Amino acid sequence: MNRKRIWAVAYKEWREILRDRLFFSMAFLLPVLMLMVLGWGISLDVENIPFAVLDQDKSHLSRDFLHRFIDSRYFSYRGDVQKAEQLDTLLAHSDIRFALIIPDKFQEKLLAGQSTAVQSIIDGVFPYRAQVAKGYVSAIINNFNAHSLADFIARTRGISQEQALALINPVHLHPRYLFNQALRSSWSMASGLMMLVLMITPPMLTVLGVVREKENGSIYNIYASTISRGEFILGKLLPYFLISCINILILWSIVIFLFNAPFKGNPLFYFAVSVLYVICTTGIGLLISFLVNTQVAAVMLTMVITFVPAMLYSGLMMPLSSLSDSTQLLAHAFPAMYYLRLTWGSFLKGLGWDALWGNVVALMLYAGLLWIIAYLNFHKRPRQ
Amino acid sequence: MSMQRTALWWRRMAVMIIKELKQLYRDPVLLVIIAYFFTADVYLAGSGAKITLYNATFVVIDHDHSAASRELIYAFRPPYFDFQGELADARSAEKLLNNGEILAILDIPNHFQHDLLQGKPVALQLRLDASNMSLATLMSDYSAELVGRYGQNYSLQQLGLSTEHIQTVPIIDDRHRVLYNPNQTDSWFMSISELLTVITMLSMMLPAAAAVREKERGTIEQLMVSPLTPIQILLPKVLAMGLVILFAVAVSLYGIMQPAFHVPIQGSTGLFFAVTALYVFATSGIGLFIASISRNLGQVSMLVLLIIMPIILLSGAWTPPEAMPTGLRYAMYISPLSYFIEMGYGILLKGADLEILWDSLLGLTVLGSIIFSLGIWRFQIQ
Repeated sequence: MNRKRIWAVAYKEWREILRDRLFFSMAFLLPVLMLMVLGWGISLDVENIPFAVLDQDKSHLSRDFLHRFIDSRYFSYRGDVQKAEQLDTLLAHSDIRFALIIPDKFQEKLLAGQSTAVQSIIDGVFPYRAQVAKGYVSAIINNFNAHSLADFIARTRGISQEQALALINPVHLHPRYLFNQALRSSWSMASGLMMLVLMITPPMLTVLGVVREKENGSIYNIYASTISRGEFILGKLLPYFLISCINILILWSIVIFLFNAPFKGNPLFYFAVSVLYVICTTGIGLLISFLVNTQVAAVMLTMVITFVPAMLYSGLMMPLSSLSDSTQLLAHAFPAMYYLRLTWGSFLKGLGWDALWGNVVALMLYAGLLWIIAYLNFHKRPRQ
Repeated sequence: MSMQRTALWWRRMAVMIIKELKQLYRDPVLLVIIAYFFTADVYLAGSGAKITLYNATFVVIDHDHSAASRELIYAFRPPYFDFQGELADARSAEKLLNNGEILAILDIPNHFQHDLLQGKPVALQLRLDASNMSLATLMSDYSAELVGRYGQNYSLQQLGLSTEHIQTVPIIDDRHRVLYNPNQTDSWFMSISELLTVITMLSMMLPAAAAVREKERGTIEQLMVSPLTPIQILLPKVLAMGLVILFAVAVSLYGIMQPAFHVPIQGSTGLFFAVTALYVFATSGIGLFIASISRNLGQVSMLVLLIIMPIILLSGAWTPPEAMPTGLRYAMYISPLSYFIEMGYGILLKGADLEILWDSLLGLTVLGSIIFSLGIWRFQIQ
């Protein structure tokens, strides 16, 4: 290893990056934009669900029941209809996502101490939203039932209404949300997205840099020179690696100052593991760039290998426990999961090396393995 | 005369389309990647992801050890919950929670059964790992409902009003029906969403790459001096890539999504492919525009990534229009994907036809023509 040669390659690469101004600015802009767009864009809060009603009873009690939905911030009232078919059209056209049908004799039956049934129709195209909406509907109806039942018991047993209410709702659940008391979606999302952005951009920069030389043919200068494989790889990747390290700091500040996420862990520890993670993901890029010969193929392959697994198999959107066994294996074979644990552990839980060391070791192994494979796959004498 | 000229025009187009297809065919790695996108990638997206509550791990600290407390624990049932056992002390439970090995701790107090029988209110505590916010929401909603129902049944039984006599109490029975995806199968939503995203990316990337490669290698000069008009140079790229994409969509739909996930095709298949073709045309306009302002593929891919994210964000794939701030809701009109999503889900899951989708189709046609003309025009003035 000759330090002077590494430096020469790195310097040449740095000048090349600087001269392509669009590329240079994108290298910093893209991660920031990705974090902000996705951080604000992926909102799993379900509110303002548009709904319409078919009220066949039109009584005092049915209006009272309906107002529990209208007054809720989870629903947004879009009016009454006269026929059930109208609800179908509105649902098919996505004008509403939820429809409520109140039957006739609604008031009559309830006042007579009999049960009645309402129909709720929910648009199930996006299952998560349908599930949450169903939960809201049940909660409103349960609440109504509790009061109606309490009235009934108070009347028939001769006790006060409060007593009756306590009697029929004896058990209460007090949830305590650890690590994110106010359940802010942006806290988990923004910090978690550091994992996604640092999964995609470092390999993207790497493949573009390396495969460009291959496609242009300028890599033959390298093949013909005295520089060794290792020196070339190190020198070539140094500038891209540095850009990604600067991006770690930029992204971290955005998560803290723009999304107001807390950081409870040790910043130095987190920076160190982030650098380790960037070494991993740069290694993925390096491996890709020795496998393919055209830039289009390289860029697409990077997208394929990084985006979907990091989004869906890391625990960011859905918990790993809900994955099947074979996909669990996939999740463990990928560095994103370990880094996400480190990220949430550092940002939200305030954990350090003691609790998280296993993940750091996994990343180290991963980085070492990737770089060795990449090194072995790079030849100065390309076989035809 | 004009007949001859039209024939010549079309022959030149055909030659150019064949040239593009050959060029694509000679990059086997790229072909494999395109195939991967439409098969394995769609499969992975559809098979892994569940944002529904499933196998949520929890432990219980039971201070009561009564029949009532056991019955309550039994209510936290699979497939939603995964009971990991009882622990004696809070410290070891919290350690499991910290390390992410479990997601929740349920705390049942002393005298739980005793208080229930006395008709006294009882409070249970549920500590949740909220670092994953969507999961914590689902879990606490489910648990609250379970516990509420348990308590109500318990006391109704005490009062002699068991659920068998439901007719004789004044309550509302909630009969809910979930339309278009009755069992709320996540794989339907996820695989369709992934397919639409893949179409967006490839229909932008492939024509843009084909165009900028000619610039990068200098072969564009050859084409410029040939008798071809700029449209005859650019349109074949779009048509060739469009053909490949439509073919791949068919493979994905009939080879992956139907056999593996049983995604229903409720509406007309012809309409779906027609709409897809229109959409590919519209987004390839964006690709050509990007190619016209870039000098090399590095720039193209950065710009594609940069533009594709707002397009996906404003499409309603993650956040439906009603949940968007008002300003962004209007911005959705300029994202071609928002129309495509509406029509894609509409045709595949809702069985919608033109009578319902005509406004989205009109929107996509107008927007697509504007984008495409802009792309061609920008290339022409170079």
